[in-house]
Amino acid sequence: MTVIEINGLQKSYKTHRVLEDVTLKVEKGEIFGILGPNGAGKTTAVECMSGLRKPDGGTLRVLGLDPQTQRAELLQRIGTQLQEAALPDAIKVAEALRLYASFYDEPADWRALMDEWGLTEKRRARFGSLSGGWKQRLFIALALVGNPEVVFLDELTTGLDPAARRMTWGLIRDMRDRGVTVVLVTHFMDEAEALCDRIAIIDRGQVVHEGTPGELISKGHTNSLDDAYFALTERTVS
Amino acid sequence: MKGLGNVIAIELKLALRDPMAAFFALAFPAVILWMKMRNGGTLPSGLPIIEAVVPMLSVFVIGLASLVVLPATMAQYRERRVLKRLRATPASSTMIFGAQWAAHMLLAVVGTAVLAVIGVFAYNLQGPVDVPGMVLAWVLGALSLGAIGLLIGALVPSGRAATVVGLAVFFPMVFVSGAMSARETLPESMRSLGDWTPMAPAVQAVRAGWEGHAASPVTLAVMAGIFIVASAAALKAYRW
Ligand SMILES: Nc1ncnc2c1ncn2[C@@H]1O[C@H](COP(=O)(O)OP(=O)(O)OP(=O)(O)O)[C@@H](O)[C@H]1O
Ligand SMILES: [Mg+2]
Repeated sequence: MTVIEINGLQKSYKTHRVLEDVTLKVEKGEIFGILGPNGAGKTTAVECMSGLRKPDGGTLRVLGLDPQTQRAELLQRIGTQLQEAALPDAIKVAEALRLYASFYDEPADWRALMDEWGLTEKRRARFGSLSGGWKQRLFIALALVGNPEVVFLDELTTGLDPAARRMTWGLIRDMRDRGVTVVLVTHFMDEAEALCDRIAIIDRGQVVHEGTPGELISKGHTNSLDDAYFALTERTVS
Repeated sequence: MKGLGNVIAIELKLALRDPMAAFFALAFPAVILWMKMRNGGTLPSGLPIIEAVVPMLSVFVIGLASLVVLPATMAQYRERRVLKRLRATPASSTMIFGAQWAAHMLLAVVGTAVLAVIGVFAYNLQGPVDVPGMVLAWVLGALSLGAIGLLIGALVPSGRAATVVGLAVFFPMVFVSGAMSARETLPESMRSLGDWTPMAPAVQAVRAGWEGHAASPVTLAVMAGIFIVASAAALKAYRW
């Protein structure tokens, strides 16, 4: 079943055209990776999918819904972790989870989620006092607190220590195994290779390559996704 | 409106945890009360001065919470992308507005209660005479000034600008509208200027209720009108 269907998506900021023509499909229950250089338009694309930005052109359906005209319904069924966001400095971890859970019709058990993500020891800590990695964990947990069918994770493990990264990978796989669809933006090739079922490389506002990690590696005639990424993007840049 | 009670409770906690907001809304009016009462005495009408000072300072507290603290909170949330994160949830802008308003007005209720308690124990405060009338006037004042605060919060570009604009609107207004010194002691020119500010009807109506006079329906209608116009404008101008 197709969960996300994007056709010819276009988006400009003022005169600067960021998304030229993005076309892709994400199937239910897969972990879909989006790779690409800084400024390629990954965040813009994901924010269009989660209803935060209005596309200028093309068609976009998430869970069969239009993120602009059917936002309210869509927001109940998706979860988002933004690349740049914050909470009020004085809010405590447990308060934030409880608050966000209260926005949804059928939320997850926020206490269980807090436990699962190792946040229980920090439940009384104020957001402003958390280190970057702990903030990141909280943001991931907040993306899941609505019990979403689709999760958008923009720069999932940026700022996490190696152990937290491994833990996060495990939890994301568990989620997929429960049927949740995951869209993941990342700059870490090992993460994409370890986690993603399929990957799209976005460059200059277009999907320039798409496939499983294995397919991309053979397409680039290399041994690792890391090398393949460079081989493939260099060819498109030149 | 799911989760509205929860957001209000958390926003109120956050406001009380913020030392600036707590000082502004709670301690500052109490200090002014003490300054006003150092000489004691009665107004020209024979009214004990405390029966004028507590109701007018309760409007002062509403003004501080709605025109200074609330816009700064909103603008800071926008600047730091707290609102952007909320936008990715089912929480609506109306709910965010409602919660901000309610939490800041609860802050003003706490501030008013502090004033009343000090008044009763230190200065033999008697009023309010007409409790429902006073409460109605207070709530309408909170709605009208709160809506103006939301509008400022929606329009200003940054948290810093919000504080500057808020204070620039608040301070002249409390002086001329009679929220700082009793209206009847103000020079005529100042009072007629003050009558054009949105704080004047709140001061008049709250004091009328306090003393047991009927507030004029025009005053109440003006506050309702300000609320409708300013809150519609704020919702229209709202940015995440
Ligand atoms: N709100 C905005 N206003 C104007 N330009 C913007 C805005 N947001 C992004 N851009 C521009 O759009 C382009 C794409 O940005 P985007 O954040 O989508 O890239 P990205 O692929 O997520 O990059 P990164 O890997 O650095 O996160 C950039 O050139 C950026 O400067
Ligand atoms: Mg990005």
